[in-house]
Amino acid sequence: MVERIVELEQVEKDYGQGAAALTVLKGVSLVIERGEFVAIVGASGSGKTTLMNILGCLDRPSRGAYRLDGHDVSKLNDYGLSRVRNQRIGFVFQSFNLIPQLTVVENVEVPLLYSRWPRRDRRRRCLELLEAVGLSHRLSHHPTQLSGGECQRVAVARALVNEPALLLADEPTGNLDSRNGEEVMRIFGELHSAGRTIVLVTHNPEIALALPRTVEMRDGLVVRERRAATGVAS
Amino acid sequence: MGAWLGFVAEIVVLGLHNLLRNKLRSLLTMLGMIFGVGSVIAMLSVGAGARHQILASIGELGVRNIIVNSIRPPQEKKGDEGESWAERYGLTFRDRGLIEETCSSVERVLPVNVTKKRVWYGSSRVEGSVLGVLPEHMALFGMTVGRGRPLSELDERTAAHVCVIRSSLLRELGVLRDPLGMTLSIQSFSFEVVGVLEDARFQSHTRKALAIDDRAQEIYIPYSTSMRTFGTLSVVERAGQSEKSIVELDQLIVIAKTSELVFPTSRILSSILSNLHKRRDWEIVIPLELLQQSEKTQAVFNIVMVLIAAISLVVGGIGIANIMLATITERTREIGVRRALGATRRDVVLQFLIETAVIGLVGGLIGCLFGLGVIELLVRFTGWTALVEPQFIAASLGISAAVAVVSGIYPARRAAQLDPIAALRNE
Repeated sequence: MVERIVELEQVEKDYGQGAAALTVLKGVSLVIERGEFVAIVGASGSGKTTLMNILGCLDRPSRGAYRLDGHDVSKLNDYGLSRVRNQRIGFVFQSFNLIPQLTVVENVEVPLLYSRWPRRDRRRRCLELLEAVGLSHRLSHHPTQLSGGECQRVAVARALVNEPALLLADEPTGNLDSRNGEEVMRIFGELHSAGRTIVLVTHNPEIALALPRTVEMRDGLVVRERRAATGVAS
Repeated sequence: MGAWLGFVAEIVVLGLHNLLRNKLRSLLTMLGMIFGVGSVIAMLSVGAGARHQILASIGELGVRNIIVNSIRPPQEKKGDEGESWAERYGLTFRDRGLIEETCSSVERVLPVNVTKKRVWYGSSRVEGSVLGVLPEHMALFGMTVGRGRPLSELDERTAAHVCVIRSSLLRELGVLRDPLGMTLSIQSFSFEVVGVLEDARFQSHTRKALAIDDRAQEIYIPYSTSMRTFGTLSVVERAGQSEKSIVELDQLIVIAKTSELVFPTSRILSSILSNLHKRRDWEIVIPLELLQQSEKTQAVFNIVMVLIAAISLVVGGIGIANIMLATITERTREIGVRRALGATRRDVVLQFLIETAVIGLVGGLIGCLFGLGVIELLVRFTGWTALVEPQFIAASLGISAAVAVVSGIYPARRAAQLDPIAALRNE
């Protein structure tokens, strides 16, 4: 079992070409071990979104190496990246990004659809997860019929459905009121306790401070890291 | 493979859901397809119906037959002899003899003597076409005697004064009694009715080929009787003048041994007759040739119709492509989400292709129903025949799905090429 889930080595990322090229990441090295719960903070334009995209295999580094769960993913093509996203990464977005025309269960099933799970296994697995996030009573509702907090819980269930090595959350509480935000953070806390590796991007210093480890970005570089004395948050 | 099929089935269901979510827009998307497929079906069926009808009517004339008719030649100069004496033209007994002797490809030659006579029953009178025929003539043209009996060999040999009539003649004469055994006067001769044919079902161009006047009633009598009683002179009252003409043989039905021999035989006939006749007082009608000609015309007609239908299908396809492009702009976010969750480009292409195929198939199905409706109306109001064959429906459904898939390729590729990050950011 690989202990280093994320291993970034001098990762750089350019946008544009030639004279107009803009280097957004200027050599980020970062190691995240299994079971860690890491917050990435930084002002807008600090490069944290780009880092997030690379961590989530939505984008490739221009230079440097990225090993995810023991596999070098920095040179993969579009197809390879799609497979890695499908198999090893779970996304939770700020605006939930549920597919409006699908029901709750069908939304959770989407990643399994792309790993070609048979229908029955898929249904069973989704039902388990939705029960775990307390949404068993909303299975055939559509996202528009749910509250923001419920939507985000569906999104968390969807992120977990493929047993990802890395759970990536991008401002997961950004669109929620404080009560729902706390509920979602409680779920993340539980997942962390259960041994999941979670990376969470946030603006909210309160949330970041509550996590065992915080990585601060500025101008495309990691400028500060903070580790709490104990390994477990909340 | 099973998992893959499951995936496809899933997307088909998704496509149907999307189709039902916005019914008006789906209908407008499919409209071009509906008209295209509808016209393809209607066109193919009407074409097949027409073909079937022509085949049937030409089949009536028999594919091995060659019909030689005597025709009145164009009048060269009117005057001296034409006024005073009967005009002599047409096929002669000598022609018949020569044909029978020299053409080895001919199985049989049947003479027909056609004269126009007044037919009386009591005080009712009708114009009749009196056809002197050999007994086998009736079977050859599929005339079935509904009541009584057809003309027989014995009638022929004894030159009996018997006739077989159409039941429509009875209506025209106002006969209510049992027609068998009753006596008709043709000119001044008495003929006993021995058989009644089923109602005329000859189509107009069959009648024309057989030189049966459209307005006159046909009365069949033995050939020998016809020759002996009426002879070769016919007198037609026209505009107060009587036109006399002498035609030895009004019609010859030449039966070739096989249908392959029909054309060679007709060429021989043509050259024999050209040598014997100075004037063009004969014509050859070849049912097989009519058949081939009408098939050719039909083929041209079909090609034109197929082109028109193809154009409407292409227009339908463009409509689908247009809407799919709009849909993809609308669903950019969804595409981004699916990509983030692990959909490969191929998955995205597949999803949109299947969605367009579903649109095409549903449009095709509605188009089929539309086409069947159009056929129904056409048949009811124009009296055309249409033949809907199952393969037409299968073909149009296949074509509509194919057109839809082709028009979905570009939009689907566009969707697949979207950058997931940009697509996710899209509002």
